[in-house]
Amino acid sequence: MSAIVVQELRRTFAGQVAVDNLSLSVEAGQIYGLVGPDGAGKTTTLRLLAGLLDPDGGRVALLGRDPFGRDGSFRESLGYMPQQYSLYGDLTVDENLAFFREMACLSREAFAARKERLLALTRLAPFGRRRASALSGGMYKKLALACVLLHEPKILLLDEPTNGVDPVSRREFWDLLHGFLADGMAIVFATPTMDEAARCHHVGLLYQGRLLAEGAPSELVRAFDHPVFRVGGERASVESWIEKSPDVLAFTPAGEQLRIVVRRGRELLVRGAEGDALRLVLRGRDGSRSPAFDATPASPTFEDVFLARVHERHEQTEA
Amino acid sequence: MNRFLRRTRAIAHKEMLHLIRDPGAVYMALGVPLVMLALFGYGVSVDIDHIPIAVVDQDHTPASRRLLQELTAGGDFVRAADLPSPEAALPLLGRGDVRGVFVVPEGLARHRARGEPGALQFLLDGSDGSYASVALGDAAGVAAAASGASAALDLPIRVRFNPTLRSAIDIVPALIVMILSMVSTLLTALTVAREWERGAMEQLFATPVGRTEIIVGKLLPYVGLGFVQTLLITTLGAYLFDVPIRGSLLLLFSTSLLFLVCMLGVGLLVSVVTKNQMVSVQVAVIGSFLPAMLLSGFIFPIENMPALLQAIASVFPARYYVSILRGTMLKGSGVSLLWPQILPLALFAFLVLAVAVTRFSRRLA
Ligand SMILES: Nc1ncnc2c1ncn2[C@@H]1O[C@H](COP(=O)(O)OP(=O)(O)OP(=O)(O)O)[C@@H](O)[C@H]1O
Ligand SMILES: [Mg+2]
Repeated sequence: MSAIVVQELRRTFAGQVAVDNLSLSVEAGQIYGLVGPDGAGKTTTLRLLAGLLDPDGGRVALLGRDPFGRDGSFRESLGYMPQQYSLYGDLTVDENLAFFREMACLSREAFAARKERLLALTRLAPFGRRRASALSGGMYKKLALACVLLHEPKILLLDEPTNGVDPVSRREFWDLLHGFLADGMAIVFATPTMDEAARCHHVGLLYQGRLLAEGAPSELVRAFDHPVFRVGGERASVESWIEKSPDVLAFTPAGEQLRIVVRRGRELLVRGAEGDALRLVLRGRDGSRSPAFDATPASPTFEDVFLARVHERHEQTEA
Repeated sequence: MNRFLRRTRAIAHKEMLHLIRDPGAVYMALGVPLVMLALFGYGVSVDIDHIPIAVVDQDHTPASRRLLQELTAGGDFVRAADLPSPEAALPLLGRGDVRGVFVVPEGLARHRARGEPGALQFLLDGSDGSYASVALGDAAGVAAAASGASAALDLPIRVRFNPTLRSAIDIVPALIVMILSMVSTLLTALTVAREWERGAMEQLFATPVGRTEIIVGKLLPYVGLGFVQTLLITTLGAYLFDVPIRGSLLLLFSTSLLFLVCMLGVGLLVSVVTKNQMVSVQVAVIGSFLPAMLLSGFIFPIENMPALLQAIASVFPARYYVSILRGTMLKGSGVSLLWPQILPLALFAFLVLAVAVTRFSRRLA
C-alpha cells in the first residue's frame, strides 16, 4: 500500500477550480515533487493532504487514514511545513523546538537526541537562543524543517521549503531529506523550480490544478519526443518568429542563444552553405517561412518538458 | 489525558512568552485599570472633606457654640470665617473663599431646651452642582449627628443624591467589573486572531494538538494576569477609597475568577470567529465594555429598565458580577445569598468556552 494515495481530489474557491481531479500516490521512502508555476494549486493540494481544507470531491489516504474525518490520529505521523512563515518569531530557536516537542508529546530522551542531530545537520546549534524572527531566511526555513522533523513523521509535506535558501543550504536541506527517506518517510515537495523537481523520485507537473504529466524526471525527459534546438542569430528576429510560429512549444534564453522546443515533425531543417552547420526554418501561421537560423540540436531538459506540456495544455483548452 | 495536559501547558507557556515579550499587553492589562480607577475613583470623591465654610452664630449661647464646634469637628467642614450676619458671607461666597454658610438662628437653644425641633440654616454655593450635593450630604450627616439623642435638628433642604454621583464605596465594585470586562476581553480577542494572521495556525493545526487544548492553553495566562488585575483593583480600592471587604476573600476571588473566564472566553470566541485582530478588537469592545457599562446596573439601575432591556441585561455576566461584588464587598453576603448570581456566571463561562471550541474550525478556508 502506498503511504499517500490521492484519488480525484477536487477543490474550488468561489467557483474557481484550484485543484482539479488530482490523483497521485507516493510510496514510503519516496519523494514526490509537485512542480508548477504560481497559482498552479500546489499549496491548495498540500493543505488538502494535511486536512487543513475540505475537498469538494475525491479521497485522500495517509497511511490508510482519512485526513478529512473525525479521527485526527493521522496527525501523529504527519509533518507539514507551510509555504509562509509559520513559526513564532518572538520565540527563540530552542523555544520553538520545545514547543513542537510538546505538541508531539515526545519524551525528553528522544527529543534531546533528535534535537542535537537536527541542529547539527542544519548547523543551527549556535543560534539556540536567537529569536526566530532574527534568523536569516535560509536559517528560518531550516528551523521550520527541524520543527516538523522532530517527531519523525512518516509523511512529510513541504511547501516550497527552499524558497529563499542559498545553494549551499539547499544542498544540505536535500541531504537532510535523503537521510530521512532512507528511514521510510514519504515526502511531497512542492516547488516552482525545475532543478529541484529533477531531484525527486517522482514528479507531477501541476498546472491550473491538473497534473499535466507524471513520472520519474529522467523518464519524463526520455519520453519527450519533441526536438529541442539552441538557436543563434539576430535575437529580435528569432523572437519575432517564435511569436509568429504555431510550432514553437517552448523557449528559454540560454546565454547568447535561445533554447526552443519545436513540435515534432514541424521542424524544417536545411543544411548551411558550408554543408556542416544545421539551420532551422520556422513556419508562420499563414504558411510564411522564416529565414534560416543557426541551430544546434540539444537534448531536452526537465524545464523544456514542463514548458512544452504547459503550452500543449493551453492549446487544448483554447481549442 | 496526560497528553492533553502536556499540550495545554505548552500552549499556555508559549502564550505567556508572547505576553512577556510584548510589554504593551502587560501595560494595558495593568496600566488601564490604574488609570480607570484613578479617573472614576477620584472623579467622584473630589475633596469631599475640608469644605471651607463660614459660620454665623445669632444665638450666642453656650449650646450654639458647642453645636458649631461639633459641625466642624468631623473634618468635612473647615471653619473659615466667623461672621455677624448671613449677608456678610455673600462676598466670601462670591469669591469662593467659602462654599457655604452655617447659620444658627436666634433662639435655637431655647427651642431645643423646650424639646422643640430647631432649624439650622445652611447657605450653599450652588455653582458647582456636584460639589454642592456632596457638601449638602455632609451637612445633613453632620446635622443629624449633632442633634444626638435630643430633639432632631432639622436642615431645611432634603438631600438627594444624584444617581451618577455615588460615593467611591459604591463605584469601586462597578469599576472592577468594567475594568475586568474590557481589558480581559481585549487581551484574548487578539490571541487567536494574531495566530491566524501570523500564519502559525496553519502549522499548529497540522500537529495533533486539539482545539480544546489551544483554547484552554490560551486562556490560562490571561486568567493569571486578570487575577493580578483583580488583586490590584480591590487592594487599591480598599486603600484609596476605603472600600470595605466585608465578605469572604475566598468568595470574592473565586467569583472574580469565574467572571474573568467569562470575559476572556468572550474575547476568545470573538477572535475565533473573526480571525482578524482589528475586527476582533472592535467587536470585543462593543461586546464587553458597553454591556458592562450600561447593562450591569453600574449607571442605570436594572430594576428601572424596560422589560426588554432587563432581559438583554440578564444575558451578560456583568450584572451578576456587580451584584456579587456589592454583596461580598459591601454587605458581607455569602454563597447562600449569592448563588443565584454565581450560577449564571458559571453557566455563561461554560457556554462561551464550549461555543468557542466548536466554532474553532481546523480548516483554513
Ligand atoms: N483561501 C483561498 N481563497 C480563495 N482562493 C484561493 C485560496 N487559496 C488558493 N486560492 C486560489 O487557488 C489557486 C491555487 O492557489 P495555490 O495557492 O494552491 O497555488 P500555488 O501553486 O501554491 O501557488 P504559489 O506558487 O504562488 O504558492 C489560485 O488561483 C488561488 O488564487
Ligand atoms: Mg503556494
